[in-house]
Amino acid sequence: MSKIEIHNLTVDYTEKNKSFTALKNVSFSVEAGEFVSVIGSSGCGKSTLLSILEGINAPTEGEILIDGKPIIGTGTDRGVVFQHYSLFPWMTARKNVAFGVKQVKKDLSKTERLQIADTFLDKVGLSDFKNKYPSQLSGGMQQRVAIARALAMDTDILLMDEPFGAIDAKNRTVLQELLLELWEGDGTQEKKTVVFVTHDIDEAILLSDRIVMMSAGPGHVYREIPVPFDRPRN
Amino acid sequence: MTVKKRFLRVTNLLFLILIAVQFLPNQISDDPQTSYVLWFAAGAELLVILVSSFVKKEQGLNLFLDIFAFIYGLLILWTLATAKFNLLQEALFPPPGCVFQQFTEDIDKILVNIQSSLGIILQGYLLATVIAIPLGLFLGWSVRLGNAATYISKFLGSIPPIVYIPYGIALLPTFRSVSVFVIFLATFWPVLASTMSGVLNVEQKVIDSAKVLNVGKITMLFSVILPASLPQIFIGCNQGLSVSFILLTSAEMIGARDGLGYYVKQYSDFGDYTRTIVGLLVIGIVVIVISFLFNKLQRSLLRWKR
Repeated sequence: MSKIEIHNLTVDYTEKNKSFTALKNVSFSVEAGEFVSVIGSSGCGKSTLLSILEGINAPTEGEILIDGKPIIGTGTDRGVVFQHYSLFPWMTARKNVAFGVKQVKKDLSKTERLQIADTFLDKVGLSDFKNKYPSQLSGGMQQRVAIARALAMDTDILLMDEPFGAIDAKNRTVLQELLLELWEGDGTQEKKTVVFVTHDIDEAILLSDRIVMMSAGPGHVYREIPVPFDRPRN
Repeated sequence: MTVKKRFLRVTNLLFLILIAVQFLPNQISDDPQTSYVLWFAAGAELLVILVSSFVKKEQGLNLFLDIFAFIYGLLILWTLATAKFNLLQEALFPPPGCVFQQFTEDIDKILVNIQSSLGIILQGYLLATVIAIPLGLFLGWSVRLGNAATYISKFLGSIPPIVYIPYGIALLPTFRSVSVFVIFLATFWPVLASTMSGVLNVEQKVIDSAKVLNVGKITMLFSVILPASLPQIFIGCNQGLSVSFILLTSAEMIGARDGLGYYVKQYSDFGDYTRTIVGLLVIGIVVIVISFLFNKLQRSLLRWKR
């Protein structure tokens, strides 16, 4: 049994009485601890696919199983990083992370949650910025906070929807390396299962174990390619 | 900043002119209470010198000094037009010294009236916001109810609250309770409407990122939707506050036995225009202080906005 199994996913949208198919019979699976990138040009349905994995949207047909159980709506087993607006603008970086922790670990005290937040903000190199609001942080720093929050929530699965898509090239490289470093960890913990959506083939090759290529009209899986390079790759 | 920039200013020149003007011969029959103007000016100038010595930001100092320049200028004109040249009707426009003197004499009475007015406003206003904000959150969040409620609240909110007064008088026992009721209505509708529109305008992306954190319903409403719509909510709260003051002072002029509006109305009925002006100035000061505090609160709650 794979960690994530996607079976015959079909998604139809109706907009102004016209219906169109965003995804048609999409099937693939992701193993536990695997880093899988989903790539494709815009309109291939990769973001739709991720929104169903997140639980924000529901499929018209087909289902997604996580640990063998079909997903219904959002869940605390999945952490999410969007391209924009993952953070709440009225919370400081620290509060944003602690708020995420609170949703998955309700029994922790406020101090413990803030401690976890500090630990993970330190891991992404933002200790000095923890009391800043998102509007006071650069786009790259905001994504670091979002990653810190997703990791602090300690979910098995990480879903990332073009998280570095709006970051300039130089910072993107730094963030990609940071993400890999955090994902690989120090070897004492189980690796997280990552589904990473991007339109950047270099990014996909650098980061992932396997690449799922999608194409449009309607969105479907075109090829699945294992990445044959040893880690670390740079 | 140089000493010149700090102390050699038009404001200080106007202060000296104000003092000099006080010693011109008087042309009115009553005692213009010149000493009160001198005391007031001395106090103001002491404040000016203290602020000039310690404020670090030039922009802030300029604003402060300009405001005092206006106050001095106004007092100079006021003194000249009344006590010194008697250009205005003496009975309607008392000289500034008399107004200051009356103010110090009536201070206890004035404080009681301020307390009475603010008590009513606070009660009606807080009651309205405490009910309207959560209600607006629920109505705005439930799409179908919210759509209907938007129209209903627009209709009910468009009725000037003052026309509910007859019903208030028929149903409620005291003038005070009628006033609280009217202020409640004056605040309730704008706050409800702005809360609902705030909720409806929360970005879908903000809602999505809360959803993927798996937040519960109550957390969603009060930790996500409420702060996200707070900038809009404040628009309604501001509107409610300014309308409340207008309504309350008008209502007090019609039927109250205390309050700031009552103070002005009572003494103008008796032709005591010194106290009328005292009342006008006090109302102005109270409104300014309240809006200043309210702005502080707003800024601190919205400090995350750019």
